[in-house]
Amino acid sequence: MIQSDADILWNRKLGPMYFHLGLSLRGFEQAVPGQFITLRAQRQQSPLLRRPFSIHRLIQADNRVQGIEILYRTAGDCTRYLSTLAPGEKVNILGPLGNGFSLPDSGRIFLVAGGIGVAPMVFLAETLRQKSHPSEITIFLGGRTQTDLLCQKAFLDLGLRLELSTDDGSTGHQGLVTDLLKKHLTETKAHGIYACGPMPMLAAVAGLARSHAVPCQVSIETIMACGMGVCLGCALDDQVITDKYRHVCIDGPVFDAATLKFDN
Amino acid sequence: MNTINNNFIPDLSVDIAGMHLKNPIMTASGTFGYGEEFKDVVDLNLLGAIIVKGLSLAPAPGNKPPRIVETACGMLNAIGLENVGIEAFVRDKLPFLKKLSTPMVANIYGKTIDEYVGLAARIDDVDGISAIEVNISCPNVKAGGVAFGVDPRSVYQVVSAVRKASQKPLIIKLSPNVSDIATIAQRAEEGGADALSLINTITGMAIDIHTRKPKLANITGGLSGPAIKPIALRMVWQAVNAVKIPVIGIGGIVSAEDALEFFIAGASAVQIGTANFMNPSATIEILEGLTRYLKSNNMATLRNLYGTLVL
Ligand SMILES: Cc1cc2nc3c(=O)[nH]c(=O)nc-3n(C[C@H](O)[C@H](O)[C@H](O)COP(=O)(O)OP(=O)(O)OC[C@H]3O[C@@H](n4cnc5c(N)ncnc54)[C@H](O)[C@@H]3O)c2cc1C
Ligand SMILES: Cc1cc2nc3c(=O)[nH]c(=O)nc-3n(C[C@H](O)[C@H](O)[C@H](O)COP(=O)(O)O)c2cc1C
Ligand code: FES
Repeated sequence: MIQSDADILWNRKLGPMYFHLGLSLRGFEQAVPGQFITLRAQRQQSPLLRRPFSIHRLIQADNRVQGIEILYRTAGDCTRYLSTLAPGEKVNILGPLGNGFSLPDSGRIFLVAGGIGVAPMVFLAETLRQKSHPSEITIFLGGRTQTDLLCQKAFLDLGLRLELSTDDGSTGHQGLVTDLLKKHLTETKAHGIYACGPMPMLAAVAGLARSHAVPCQVSIETIMACGMGVCLGCALDDQVITDKYRHVCIDGPVFDAATLKFDN
Repeated sequence: MNTINNNFIPDLSVDIAGMHLKNPIMTASGTFGYGEEFKDVVDLNLLGAIIVKGLSLAPAPGNKPPRIVETACGMLNAIGLENVGIEAFVRDKLPFLKKLSTPMVANIYGKTIDEYVGLAARIDDVDGISAIEVNISCPNVKAGGVAFGVDPRSVYQVVSAVRKASQKPLIIKLSPNVSDIATIAQRAEEGGADALSLINTITGMAIDIHTRKPKLANITGGLSGPAIKPIALRMVWQAVNAVKIPVIGIGGIVSAEDALEFFIAGASAVQIGTANFMNPSATIEILEGLTRYLKSNNMATLRNLYGTLVL
C-alpha cells in the first residue's frame, strides 16, 4: 500500500456521466484485478472523506507499471469535482487496497458487469487473457441504455465474446443482463463467474451461479471512511453475508458468492 | 519579519501521564486501528504515542450497518465499538506495537464498572502498554444506559475503581455530551486521573429525506471531524482551567494550525482522529507543520506555547 500524489495524464469524458482518468504514479506493481484505491481530489474539507474506485487498468511501459486508470461515473460532489480536473493537476491516491479476485486455473469464464461495474472488469479480463484462450471468456455487459455499455472496444480488442443488454433495448437484448447469463449457463458449462454491479444484479447472478453450481465471485460496494480496515465503517451484516460483520475494504471488496445471503 | 533559523531543531517533547513523548501528536482511538495498518504510509516511530481502538473484555461485533455517514465537514459513526477483545489484542496486536519506540496507550471501555476494572487489572502488568485511556462515553447498563461520562458521580466512581485496579498511568477520555465539562473534569481528577483527554464524538443524527429513515442503522451516531473543532477547543480550554493535571485535546484537528490552537488553549498534547481517514499521513504532516511553526517563530520548545492564550 502506498499513499502518493499522482499527476493526471488524461481525464476524458466517455458519455453523459462517465469519465476515464489516467494517473501517473508508482507502487502498483503488485496490484491485482478487483483491488481498489481511495482518492482525494480536493484541498478543501468538503467532501471530507476519500472516495473508493476500482483499478480499471494498469498503465504499463518499459516493463514497468507507470500508473493506473480509473473509470468513474459522476455521482456527487467528489466525482463532479474530479471531472473538472485537467491533465497536469494532481490527486492523492492510497492503494492498492482490498483483496481482489482469485483467478481460476482454466475453463470457461463468464464476466458480468452492470453499468459502472465494468470498471474492474477490464483489468480482470486482461489478466485472465494471459492464461485463457479468448474464446473461453465471455463478458456480459448490462446497462440502462446504449451509453451505459462501456469498454466494448477494450473487450473486443482482447478478443473476448461480448453479450450486451439494455433496459430500453437501444443495444443488444432488451431486458436484464442476467437473462443473457441464464441462457448461456443453460447452454454451456461455465467454470467461474465474476460479477460487479448493483446489489440486485449481484443477487441475481449469485442465485444463477448457485443453481448451476458454478463458483462465483462478486465485488461489493459500501460506504467507506478509511478503506484500510481501521474505521470498521464498511461492515456487511447478516442480511447480506453468512459470517456476520465482514469488512468490505479488507475482507473484500470481492466475496465468494456462496457466503452471501442474496436470494432471500 | 522573522527569518527561518534552520540551525536548531525545536523541542516538541512533553512528559504526560508518566510517559516521555517525543512530541505531542497521538493517534485518536478508533481511527488508527491497532497501528500496524498504517505502517506502509506512516513512520510509526515518529509519532508521540499510538492509541489503539477501544478494547473490551470480550470481542465485540459492533452495530448493524450502515455505520457511517458523511455530513458537512464531518462524519457520523455508530461503529458500536467493534474490537477483537483484550485477549486477542495482547496476543496478536501487541507484539508488533512493542517493537516500536513510540509508547502505546490502550483505550478501554466497559458496560459496567466491573468490566472497566477487569480490563485495567488484566493489562496492569502487561509490558508494552505505557498507559491506559479510559473511554467513559459508554452506556452504563446498571444506570439505565446513561453514559458514565455524563454524570459527575459515576465519573468519580469509574475513575477511582480503575485507579485502584492499575498502576499504569490513567488518561480519562471525557464525553462532550454534558452541560458542565469543568465539573466532570474535576471529578475525574479527584478519582485519580493522571491526565484527561477530550473530546469524544458529539451525539448527532442524519435523515434520508426520501425514505425518511435515519441514515445510520443505530439512528444516532458520534460526530467527528473539522465540524466539531470549535466545540472541542472550547471544552479543552474549560477543562484546562478546571484541573491541574495535563489535558490532551481532541476534535477536528487536521492541520498543524488546528493543533496549535489547542496548545495555546492549554492542551499538553493532541490526538488526531478523523484526519487519518482524509489523509493517512496527516499525523506526520501535522508534526512537520509544528516544527516549521516553531522555527519560523524562533521558538526553541513547543511547551512554551502551552496555555498562552491572550485574553
Ligand atoms: C470498492 C469500491 C469500488 C468502487 N469503484 C468505483 C469505480 O470504479 N467507479 C465509480 O464510478 N464508482 C466506484 N465506486 C463508487 C464510488 O466510490 C462512489 O460513486 C463515490 O464515492 C461517490 O462519491 P461522490 O462524492 O461523487 O458522491 P456522493 O455525494 O458521496 O454520493 C452520491 C451517491 O452515491 C452513494 N454512494 C457514495 N459512496 C458510495 C459507495 N462507496 N458505494 C455505494 N454508493 C455510494 C451515496 O449514498 C449517494 O447516494 C466504488 C465503490 C467501492 C466501495
Ligand atoms: C470511526 C470512529 C471510531 C472511533 N472509535 C473510538 C473508540 O473505540 N474509542 C474511543 O475512545 N473513541 C473513539 N472514537 C472517537 C475518536 O477517538 C475522537 O475522540 C473523535 O473522533 C474526535 O476526534 P476527531 O474529530 O479528530 O475525529 C472514534 C471515532 C471515529 C470517527
Ligand atoms: S472503510 Fe474503514 S474499515 Fe473498511
